[in-house]
Amino acid sequence: MSGRDSALARKRAVLGGRHAMLVVLSLLMVFPLVLTVSTALKTDADVRSNPFGLFSSFSTENIVAAWTLGSFGEYVLNSFLLSVPSTLLVVVLSTMGGYAFARLPFLGRTVLFYLVLLGLLVPFFAYMIPLYFQLRSMGLLDSLLGANLVLASTGLSFGTFFMRAFFSDLPTEIEEAARIDGASEWQIFARVMLPLVTSGAGALAVFTFLQNWNNFLVPLLYLPGGEYRPLTTGLYLFLGGRSVDIGPLAAGTLITVLPVVVLFVAMQRQVTQGFLSGAVKG
Amino acid sequence: MSRRVPSAPRATRRAQARLGIALVAPLLVMVVTFFLVPLANAVYYVFVDFNGIDPTPAFVGLDNFVELAQDPGVRSAFRNNAVWIVIGTVGPLVLGLALALLIWGVRRGSLFYRVAFFMPYVLPQVAIGVIWGWIYDPTEGWLNRALELVGLGALTTGWLGDPDTALYAVLATAVWATSGFVFIILLSALRNVDTDLIDAARLDGANAGQRLRHVIMPQIMPVFLMVTTITLVGGFAVFDIVFVMTGGGPAGATEMLGTYAYSSAFELNRISYGTTLALVITVMAIPFAVGLNRLQRRLSLQGTGA
Repeated sequence: MSGRDSALARKRAVLGGRHAMLVVLSLLMVFPLVLTVSTALKTDADVRSNPFGLFSSFSTENIVAAWTLGSFGEYVLNSFLLSVPSTLLVVVLSTMGGYAFARLPFLGRTVLFYLVLLGLLVPFFAYMIPLYFQLRSMGLLDSLLGANLVLASTGLSFGTFFMRAFFSDLPTEIEEAARIDGASEWQIFARVMLPLVTSGAGALAVFTFLQNWNNFLVPLLYLPGGEYRPLTTGLYLFLGGRSVDIGPLAAGTLITVLPVVVLFVAMQRQVTQGFLSGAVKG
Repeated sequence: MSRRVPSAPRATRRAQARLGIALVAPLLVMVVTFFLVPLANAVYYVFVDFNGIDPTPAFVGLDNFVELAQDPGVRSAFRNNAVWIVIGTVGPLVLGLALALLIWGVRRGSLFYRVAFFMPYVLPQVAIGVIWGWIYDPTEGWLNRALELVGLGALTTGWLGDPDTALYAVLATAVWATSGFVFIILLSALRNVDTDLIDAARLDGANAGQRLRHVIMPQIMPVFLMVTTITLVGGFAVFDIVFVMTGGGPAGATEMLGTYAYSSAFELNRISYGTTLALVITVMAIPFAVGLNRLQRRLSLQGTGA
C-alpha cells in the first residue's frame, strides 16, 4: 500500500517538475512579446529614461504616434489590401486545380501536376531578381495587382498540393451517386464535392493569409515606391531611426504582430494543420 | 497517385477532361507567368552581363561563375552561411526535441504551452528582428542587464555591433524563432510512438537516455529527418532576419550568401552576378535535400522500431 502511495507521489512530483519547467520555458518564449506590449504602452518620458523596464507606466501616446505620424494606420490597410486578395486567389485557384488533379483524368495531368509542384522545391529566392524586371516590363511594378499576383503565385504550389490531398480522400461513391442522379461534372464539383472540403480550404486560407501578411521580400522588391507599403516593410523603414524613437517603434511592432497573434491564437488548429502538412511534403 | 479504373462511359470522360482543363488553366497561367518564366530568365541572366538597363546584354559564358569562385566577399559569406546552416539546424532540432519530449504526455495546460512555443514561428521576421534588437541593446538591453545581475558583467557587449558576437546573436534569435516549428512537428510524430515499447524498455531497466536513443528516436526518425531537411535547406536561403537585424554588418560579420546576392543585384546593379549567386545557392541545397530524403524514405520502408 505505502509502496504504491510513494510511487504515486513520485510520479506526481515528476509531473510537477515538468510543469514548472514548461512554465519557465513558455515565459521565455513569450517574453519578447511581453516586452513589446510593455514598451509600446509606456509614456514618452518613461521610454526615454527606462525603455525596457516592464510595465512601469501606462499611456497610449506611442500607439497614437505610430498610427498617425508613423503612418502605421495606412500600413495596416495596405497589409490587408495585399493579404486578402492574394489569399482568396490562392484558395480559389488551388481548390479548382486540386480537384482537377485529384479526380478529373485529362491528358498531361501528371506532368502538369509535377510542374506545379516544382514550386515547392525552388525557393522564391532563385527567381526574385528576374521577376523584378519582368514585372517592370509588364507595368506591374509598384502596383497592388502585381504584388497580389506574385504573393498568390508563391502560395499556389503548396495550396494545390494541399487541396488535392483533401479531394483525393473523398470516396468515389459520392461522385458516382451524383452522376447517376444526372448531375453534370461541374455540378458534382461545385455542389457535391466542394462543400466537403470547406474545412481544408479554411485551414489553407488562414495559413496563406499569415504567410502573405508576414511576407517581407515581395513588398520590399516589388513595391519600391512606397505607395502601398505594408506593415512589414513599413516597420523596416521605421527602424532606420531606431535609437531615436523606441516608443513609437514598439507601438508599430505591436500593431504589426497583433493581427498575427490574434489570428494564431483563435485559429491555432488550422494554422498548425497548415504547417504540419506543409512539412510532410518534404 | 491513385489510378482509378476508367469505368465511366466515354461521354463522361470527355466531360471530365474538359472540366479538368478548365479548372487547371488559371492556375497554370499563374504558375507559368510568375514562376516558370522568371526562373527561365534567371538561367538566361547567368550567361549574360545584365545591368538592369541594357535590353540586349552581352553574352559572357561562364564569366559570372568564374568571378563567383574568386570573389573574397562570396567566400566570407559562404563561411558565415556554413556556420548559420550548422547551428541554425542543430539548435532548433535539439531545442524542439527537448520541448516536445517535455510536453509529451502532459495534458493539463498543454494547449497553452503549445501556443507559447509555436508563437515565435508565426511572427513576421521583421518584428522579431526589431524586438531582439532591444534585448541585445548595449546599455538598456535585457541580456546585458541579466548578465550583470548574475555577476557576469564582464561578458556584456553590444551584441549586434560587435563583429565577434553579431553572427551568433542573430543565430540565437533564429533558433528561438525556429524551435517551435520543429517542436510542433516532432510532437505530432511522438503521438504515434508505441508507448507499450517504452514501458517494456523501462521494465527491462533502460534509463531515460537509453529509452530515447533506442526506443523513441528510431520510431520518429523519418519525421526527424524530414524536419532536418526543411530547416537545413531553409538555412541556405536565409535572408529576412539577417537583413533586418544587421544588414550583413558589422564589417560583413553576418553577410550571408542571400544578403550578398541581394546587395549585388539591387544596390550595385550587378543583376546577372546576383542572380548567378542566388541560383548557385539553390542548386547547392539540392544534394542535401535529396540525400536526407532518400535516407528518410529508406527508414520509412524499413518500418518502425527496427
